[in-house]
Amino acid sequence: MAFEGLIIAAFFAACTVGPWLLSLFATMIYQPRKRKVLLERETAAAATGDALTTLSKPFGNREIREFRVMMASVVMSPSWVQMWIGGIMSLFGGQINVYTKVVDWARREAKQRLREQVAEAGFDEVVNMRIETTVMSKNNGGKDKTAGVEILVYGTAIKY
Amino acid sequence: MVCLGQATIMQPAAVQNMIFSNIETIPGMTITQSLGVVSGSTVRAKNVFKDIGAAFKNIAGGEIKAYTELLQESRNEALFRMLQDATARGANAVVNVRFATSSVAGGAAELLAYGTAVVVQ
Repeated sequence: MAFEGLIIAAFFAACTVGPWLLSLFATMIYQPRKRKVLLERETAAAATGDALTTLSKPFGNREIREFRVMMASVVMSPSWVQMWIGGIMSLFGGQINVYTKVVDWARREAKQRLREQVAEAGFDEVVNMRIETTVMSKNNGGKDKTAGVEILVYGTAIKY
Repeated sequence: MVCLGQATIMQPAAVQNMIFSNIETIPGMTITQSLGVVSGSTVRAKNVFKDIGAAFKNIAGGEIKAYTELLQESRNEALFRMLQDATARGANAVVNVRFATSSVAGGAAELLAYGTAVVVQ
């Protein structure tokens, strides 16, 4: 009888505390690791100068041989723990660091992807780069708890 | 399918030769005629099965690949519709293409692509 009770208690714990523990570990270990990898990619790309510009025309008067609209996007979501902390912090107002981190991460990731795509396709520069942000909100009052932010980065890649 | 050149990856042959750019001109060509604003849009809802995976991924946070792919596909669809619109008007290029996204309801997103249809030489 005691054994069965233990199993039920363990199952109950796994269903309630389990995801939160998982979320905590992910926030503390998994996410920073991912961000570190991203930083390494960014550092490697920055060695040859940034290819992205928001200028509406390419700088200078060089002849353009080829161009192409390119886009990269990413959907990033905060973890449960981050959402929980963010919910509490939003009562007090001010900067909500946990959300800042996620959105900043998403934006950097999207930009880095565009840089890599452009380099892979052999283009020299991206002009008129634009960033679009969309909030994929969770269903208010519904069971759907998924939340996230979508970042789209696009621009015209050109080859001299 | 992430990037699009001269719409080469688009299936129907009708828009394969359309040129489009994000800047105000088509490099190396001159615009002879403007045919007005063209746009294409699509509303997509997320897949229930993918959504379960996304909900689990949401516990840990980070990128939700299923949604990234979903939105990329739909954005290409919107772009394709815009190019179709431009073709129907007799244009051979679209300049100043912009993208906009908005979430309509719970898991649905509207993706819009718009630009100015022009004739270039």
